[in-house]
Amino acid sequence: MRRISKFGWLGGLLLLLLGGVARAQLLFPPPEFESGYRMPVTTTPPGRALWLQYLDVGVLAACLAVAVWLIYRPRSRRGIFWLSLFSLAYFGFYRKGCICPIGSPQNIAYGLLHPSYSVPVTVVAFFALPLIVALFFGRAFCAGVCPQGALQDFFLIKPIKVPAFLEHGLGLIPYLFLGAGIAYAATGTGFVICRYDPFVPIFRLSGSFFLLAAGVSFLLIGMFVGRPYCRFLCPYGALLKLGSLVSRWRVRVTPETCTQCRLCEHSCPFGALREPAPPGAPAPIPGERRTLGWLLVLLPVLIIAGALAGRALSPVAARLHPTVALAELYARQQQHPVVYGVMTPEALALARMAEQPGTVLEAAADLRGRFRLATAIFGAWFGLVVGIKLILLSLRVSRTDFEPDPGACFACARCFSSCPSERVRRGLPVVTVQPPVPAAASALAK
Amino acid sequence: MKPEFKLLDRREFVNFVSRSAALLGLAKVGSESATAATTSAEQTSTNAFAYDVSRLQKTDPKLIAYEEVTRWRSPRTSVRQIAIGPGDQVHVCAGHYISVFNPQGQPAAEVALTGPADSLAVASDGTIYAGLRDHVEVFDAKGQRQAVWAAPDRKSWLTGLAVGKQDVFAADSGKRVIWHFDLAGKLLGRVGEKNASQNAPGFIVPSPFLQVAIHADGLLRVNNIGRHQVEAYTFAGEFEGAWGRITTAIDGFCGCCNPIGFALLPDGRFVTAEKGLPRVKIYNHVGEFESVVAGAESFPENARACNGLNDCAHGGLDVGVDGQGRIYILDLVTSEVRVMKPRA
Amino acid sequence: MPNPPKSGQVNPVSRRQFFRNGARVAAMTGLGALTGVLATRGTAAGWVWQIDPAKCLRCGNCATHCVLEQSAVKCVQAYAQCGYCQLCTGFFAPEPNELTTAAENQLCPTSAIQRTFVEDPYYQYSIDENLCIGCGKCVEGCLRFGNGSFFLQIRHDRCLHCNECAIARVCPGEAFRRVPAQSPYLLKSVAK
Repeated sequence: MRRISKFGWLGGLLLLLLGGVARAQLLFPPPEFESGYRMPVTTTPPGRALWLQYLDVGVLAACLAVAVWLIYRPRSRRGIFWLSLFSLAYFGFYRKGCICPIGSPQNIAYGLLHPSYSVPVTVVAFFALPLIVALFFGRAFCAGVCPQGALQDFFLIKPIKVPAFLEHGLGLIPYLFLGAGIAYAATGTGFVICRYDPFVPIFRLSGSFFLLAAGVSFLLIGMFVGRPYCRFLCPYGALLKLGSLVSRWRVRVTPETCTQCRLCEHSCPFGALREPAPPGAPAPIPGERRTLGWLLVLLPVLIIAGALAGRALSPVAARLHPTVALAELYARQQQHPVVYGVMTPEALALARMAEQPGTVLEAAADLRGRFRLATAIFGAWFGLVVGIKLILLSLRVSRTDFEPDPGACFACARCFSSCPSERVRRGLPVVTVQPPVPAAASALAK
Repeated sequence: MKPEFKLLDRREFVNFVSRSAALLGLAKVGSESATAATTSAEQTSTNAFAYDVSRLQKTDPKLIAYEEVTRWRSPRTSVRQIAIGPGDQVHVCAGHYISVFNPQGQPAAEVALTGPADSLAVASDGTIYAGLRDHVEVFDAKGQRQAVWAAPDRKSWLTGLAVGKQDVFAADSGKRVIWHFDLAGKLLGRVGEKNASQNAPGFIVPSPFLQVAIHADGLLRVNNIGRHQVEAYTFAGEFEGAWGRITTAIDGFCGCCNPIGFALLPDGRFVTAEKGLPRVKIYNHVGEFESVVAGAESFPENARACNGLNDCAHGGLDVGVDGQGRIYILDLVTSEVRVMKPRA
Repeated sequence: MPNPPKSGQVNPVSRRQFFRNGARVAAMTGLGALTGVLATRGTAAGWVWQIDPAKCLRCGNCATHCVLEQSAVKCVQAYAQCGYCQLCTGFFAPEPNELTTAAENQLCPTSAIQRTFVEDPYYQYSIDENLCIGCGKCVEGCLRFGNGSFFLQIRHDRCLHCNECAIARVCPGEAFRRVPAQSPYLLKSVAK
């Protein structure tokens, strides 16, 4: 790595020299001073040192390892709590929310489709490490490494249960946000996931009023609805959810065999705890099969309908791209000229475009074509997500124990202490009162 | 989780489809109203930090004493200077060429140079002197190259030429001096360097626009652009006086360096050309403001955008005068030549 | 890597278990292929945002759209390109009352340009970056009448290196671009 960066330096220097030679001819020499005045040099303060960026990756890996250990070995909520505080301090208030894995899928998509942008190693690491961990251990990243999650978790006071239909309906948004983020990154429009992150402005203690207000609202809602952003918006959470669904090991409430005591039933503030299949006679199978059959037929229909709808909406979606927006402003200006103020951004953009209107119009036309494809794929993804959700809802429950849904579980370790077996394991007094300790109050309980 | 619905029958399916259609419609309406909202927001956006000189770009019409006779666009771009030769032939140096036009703007000839010229002078016998950055190329009236004079200094950047009966003066923006040659290219002396014994204040040249002219009174005139003055020197280098004052008002010169060009009317009055606020004005023989030939509003591209939105160092105007006192304005941005005559 | 949780889960592989294993292997393979592809054209140091002075239109957005309270964009001075003018149109308002450093004569809304006498008639102009808000007013003044030695740059000791620069997306000149972190400035070249 060291060698690479050294060569990079050399290359940069060479470029600078060549550029200097090429441009120097146009420039005019400064005065010749007689007083012995020495001309200052334009300073170029460097950015964050490379080793510090590798340190970020190291801290991420270490935090993930500690989180996994805390979840599976000591099964310690207190440990997770302190780890998340550290992450909040380091990745949140020290690193100010940049770099973070939530936006990284956009860099990956942008890098794959734009050869001029090579995804930095650190970003690849931030994208891949939490996912790999999720594939083996579940959402350890969400548990104690993600600063956004930690911030919301910190504000959780009195969790209420979100109705199932809302939980499932809103639970689709992260997939759509992920799809939209990737579509906008792939078309080179921008990184909307980063743009609309409500917590990064709080980490920075500055930002647009809209985003700061959104962040505060999320935190206020988060006092009663556990981690609203993580559950109903976070696009990276959607990826982690998919990974955790097939993870090798899973977080379980009990360290031993479940005795079906139901003491853990209300211990999850995030609605991730699933009850076992009801005992007694199962529903008649033929009816369920018919539903499933219908839904399987519906799936391709949804996908195609989504693709067509997405394609139809592509002109609207394309307007977010500055070049397309400029081309449209230019077209409007040709039909209904508007006098913009002196040196306003619009006036300047139009003046720039007027120098070479053809180039911008061509670029905009090309972008609109890309958007037709991107929005069609996004629409198909929309259909796929909805269809699969319907299919999953119609599938038969096979659980026999109270278990966290592996996808939805943030591995926060709150539910552990509600389990009598766990308390016995740790030599704690077993709670006999019903209902068990509310989740928030137990946040710091052993 | 328990299955949420037992059976998806036809009614339910129709219901579902119609609902999603309604939702999509709603989304469409929403996004379009959002677009409309953003569009109107765009139109009201402002720039609190605008550099606003629009007031200065308007000229009092009472001061304008000239009117346009004709104009044409040079077929070659990167124009730099204009000079009027015998028979009122219009010479324009544009990149690697000198274009010659008749007074109506019909192309008459073209002379190829070895590089881009920044300055130009035509002798009364039609000999063309072209100042390139580090040398002077001399052509006869037919365009045959006669001689090449190397510039006397490594730092030279020749930006102005004047030719008299026996002398050629080259204004050197790089070395900040006027070189005095004879007609054969022999260096005779230097004019205008800071020199207390000759009272010469020295040229302040922040950008390459130093020019020189030989006045009918027998003195040299040089635009000391950094001091916003036109200065007079004897051929021997004695400083004889200066006029011009710093102001954005119409009777003075503003910006870092103006006037960037000037020419002499047959009766000894001055025509000046400026950049930044592109305007052409007339001063009498002692430097008192008389009138405006063309104000900044006459050169909208030049005033708005320099040469492109970012390259103002190559914007501005240059002027020439023919035997009848008509003024030729060269627009360095649009490559246009405008011919102006006094208003009747 | 910690051991699997001790539990009685060591059953013979069920259909669901098999599916999960398969999906996990597929996901790992996909992730591996993706990182492999990215690694072949990866860079070590990454990118930072910077303004191309040749495209900057001095629209004022840099002062108002940075996520920082005070923008990380500052005016910088290419001294070698500066004319050291007495009447600096980047320093003085278009119509100054007199050529003094009194605030009402200055163009800069925050008086961030320091004017120091060098020798007759030259003055040095430097930027106090703690005061400069990156509005570009002086850049326009210098460019329009002068040599264009003032220009805007993102100062990387202040920039938060957002994944998406908030100014870049509203830049009317598309002047913002990612540059290699090893050479993070796009300086106006120096006259020789």
